[in-house]
Amino acid sequence: MQQYGKATYNFAYRLTGNEPDARDLTQDAFVRVYKAWRSFQPGTSFLSWIYRIVTNLYRDELRRRKGRYQEEIPEDNAPQAYGGQRPLAVTPIDDYVERQLSEPLSRALALLSPDQRQVIVLADIEEYSYQEIAEIMGCSIGTVRSRLHRARALLRRMIERGKQQKQTS
Amino acid sequence: MSEHLSNELLIDYLRKELAPEDDALVLAHLEACAGCRREHEIEASLGEALRLAALRDELEFPSMIKARVWEAIRSAKPSPVERLMAYLRPALALPVAAALAIGLFFATPAMRAVMNPQKIDATYYLEVHAAQQSQSPFTERGPAAAQLIEMSQLDTGTPTDLADAAHQGLAAPGALDAVR
Repeated sequence: MQQYGKATYNFAYRLTGNEPDARDLTQDAFVRVYKAWRSFQPGTSFLSWIYRIVTNLYRDELRRRKGRYQEEIPEDNAPQAYGGQRPLAVTPIDDYVERQLSEPLSRALALLSPDQRQVIVLADIEEYSYQEIAEIMGCSIGTVRSRLHRARALLRRMIERGKQQKQTS
Repeated sequence: MSEHLSNELLIDYLRKELAPEDDALVLAHLEACAGCRREHEIEASLGEALRLAALRDELEFPSMIKARVWEAIRSAKPSPVERLMAYLRPALALPVAAALAIGLFFATPAMRAVMNPQKIDATYYLEVHAAQQSQSPFTERGPAAAQLIEMSQLDTGTPTDLADAAHQGLAAPGALDAVR
């Protein structure tokens, strides 16, 4: 717990978006780890195994709390068509970073669906490969890829919208 | 690759998830296309921003979780199956141990008999018997017994029959022929 506690807690925090839920999720995950340690396959990543447990518990919790987490952002799945010169979707993110965009980014992350948030956290923050994410989330690589693409497109749009709102206000 | 690259392709490229040939094509295109290069930078900086934001928001592991986990483990109620097994354990242990003991008792001698069948050393048996016969002043079957010993050393097929024959005093030459 000493070794994996912090990473697990932060992972749970990024999924849930709040500390009380992250604490409960981490606690439940470690109790499950303790009970099910025999099912861990030596030679595989222990942290990935814990993340898988966290992901499953989080999914179970969402099912239990049906309604509260129901509102999902409509996914714009339309292919992006460019005629001739590609228009720039947004200005580079660097200037957002300089202006301490961690809060708007966290807000945008919280607006994603749980599955999209999970895939963003695992791919962009934890930097797992598609294969590893598929194993943690229990889905195919194709699903991981499409969820990540949609999630990133949504994030970019939300950041851009947030920036425009800030400018108008 | 004259058209612009899709963002999906750029994301896969950034994550090094493309096949080597596709990776090389994307790289070549990026070198030639400023618009795609710009889009590539945006995608890359989004990932970087997410990582930086995560680092900035990183939380310390609350020590209370550890205590709560141990408490939960200690006070965890066993599952119905575990409870049933715990209840049945004493009741099952005695019959299982008895069955094992009975099985071992019966199985071991039988197994030993199968694995290591008892052999009769017919030659030794005949030698002793012939010696007894030859030393007896009341019998005339000595030479026949000696013949039987010789025969048993040549014929290894039925040493026990020969031994029986000698024991029964089959000294007559006819009987020897019959045995042969």
